[in-house]
Amino acid sequence: MNTEELFGTYRKGIIQMKIRTIKYIVKEGFTNTHRNLLMSLASLSMVIASLLVFGIFLMLIINFSYNLNRLKAQVEIVVFLEKDISRLEADEIELKIKNDERVLTYTRISKEQAYATLVKEYLEDSDLIEGLTPDFLSESFRIHLKNVEDSSAFTQEMSSLQGVEDVNYPYESLKKLSTVLNWINAGSMVVLTLLLIISVSIIANTIKLTVFARRKEIEIMKYIGASDWFIRWPFFLEGMIIGFTGALVSFILTSYLYNSVESYVNGQTLEYGINDLIKLVPLGNVGGQIFIIYAIIGVVMGSIGSVISVRKHLNV
Amino acid sequence: MIEFRNVTKLYQNGCVGLQNATFKIEKGEFVFIVGPSGSGKSTLLKLMLREEVPTEGEVYVNEFSIHDMPRREVPYLRRGLGVVFQDFRLLPNKTVYENVAFAMQIVEAQPKDIRRQVPVALALVGLSKKAKVYPDQLSGGEQQRVALARAIVNNPSVLLADEPTGNLDPETSWEIMSLLDEINQRGTTVIVATHEKNIVDQMKKRVFNLEYGRIIRDVQEGNYTNED
Repeated sequence: MNTEELFGTYRKGIIQMKIRTIKYIVKEGFTNTHRNLLMSLASLSMVIASLLVFGIFLMLIINFSYNLNRLKAQVEIVVFLEKDISRLEADEIELKIKNDERVLTYTRISKEQAYATLVKEYLEDSDLIEGLTPDFLSESFRIHLKNVEDSSAFTQEMSSLQGVEDVNYPYESLKKLSTVLNWINAGSMVVLTLLLIISVSIIANTIKLTVFARRKEIEIMKYIGASDWFIRWPFFLEGMIIGFTGALVSFILTSYLYNSVESYVNGQTLEYGINDLIKLVPLGNVGGQIFIIYAIIGVVMGSIGSVISVRKHLNV
Repeated sequence: MIEFRNVTKLYQNGCVGLQNATFKIEKGEFVFIVGPSGSGKSTLLKLMLREEVPTEGEVYVNEFSIHDMPRREVPYLRRGLGVVFQDFRLLPNKTVYENVAFAMQIVEAQPKDIRRQVPVALALVGLSKKAKVYPDQLSGGEQQRVALARAIVNNPSVLLADEPTGNLDPETSWEIMSLLDEINQRGTTVIVATHEKNIVDQMKKRVFNLEYGRIIRDVQEGNYTNED
């Protein structure tokens, strides 16, 4: 059979050929992972280690922003009414607040209640509040919004209402809080990126050992006329298998670790009575996303690492 | 058909691989390339395989122009060339049969063609009975015969051999050379770089003498050296 005849049969069987090649690649990928078990385990532990460090940072960031956002949400908007406002007008304003979709909760504080609080607070300096009657004080609403972002618009609307004396909202401290949050986010992005780059290069180096052990095989394949991708795919798959397995193992480890940290922290905060202030994100809320992130990073790290490692040996 | 036109190969470290080489090898020829170590024998073969690219001049192998050829076409050039090396280069974790079949697998041949052609190639080199043996259980000569079977199993039009008998004793060397001759009789162009003076002298084939990267002699039915 001459070359032309052979080429003819190749073309006829092109679909069959593809499936056969895919079978070969999948088989090679798995056998190689298994055959170089020690190397694969080395790469695997690298993936697990870097994903774990990555995961710890990720969970810290998630919880930090979660708690800062909660803190922001806990800041109240206080709407003070004019002192000589009629009961009807006050009820009208309350109705407005009640029907506003942005409002999460509100409490109405009557003059008497405000006076009672004041008396309680200044109990020791009673001469300060001598002669003060509830009539000197304003009626007020303490409001929590569903979404912190609505605060400024909501505050403006409230202060333009008839009968509203003043709206109290801690703009400055909130601004500072947002800035802090932004800086923390940016900083952690930098740290995470660095970590990922370091991880990829370590994995590339580990897979390079696997490739190096098989450089003869690659060389022979090149001489016989294998295409670059035909050589590359099994290594690619090997990298992906290692990356995905690493992601799976580190996810399980992260979940286990996080659950114990969560129950510890929740126990501690409960003990000190600050369980309303600090709260960890339950894993169930973010677990799925974290696993997807892990899997993507693991698979991408593994495959990029292997492609980087094979590249040099393809130039024969 | 292989043609070199004024081909010069300079390496990056300043070494001269080949200097102004011009020659033509027709289909079905048998050529010995002889000369001292470092005279350019390997460079010549590497240029044909496009392992190296010429610094100057033009190289044609089959229908390919080596001097201006995109990298992605290299596998297709090599599928038309069989290669044999001094150190055999077999895969130790594959049997004799698998080593030969491997060459067909990676060019994505049909399984039925693989099943048909591998035994034919093994029979040609006389190793049918050792198909299931691993390379480390074979003698050097047998290993080189497996490499030969692997080189010809895809029916290449050209067979390149870089000192194929360099690691073998004289008797085994003769066996390998006769096999190469037999492959040549079947129509394959065979090019052999070698140091085997006796064999070259007795086989009476075309001989290229290389020295310092130059082809100083190109004779039909020639001897290893000028002096008889």
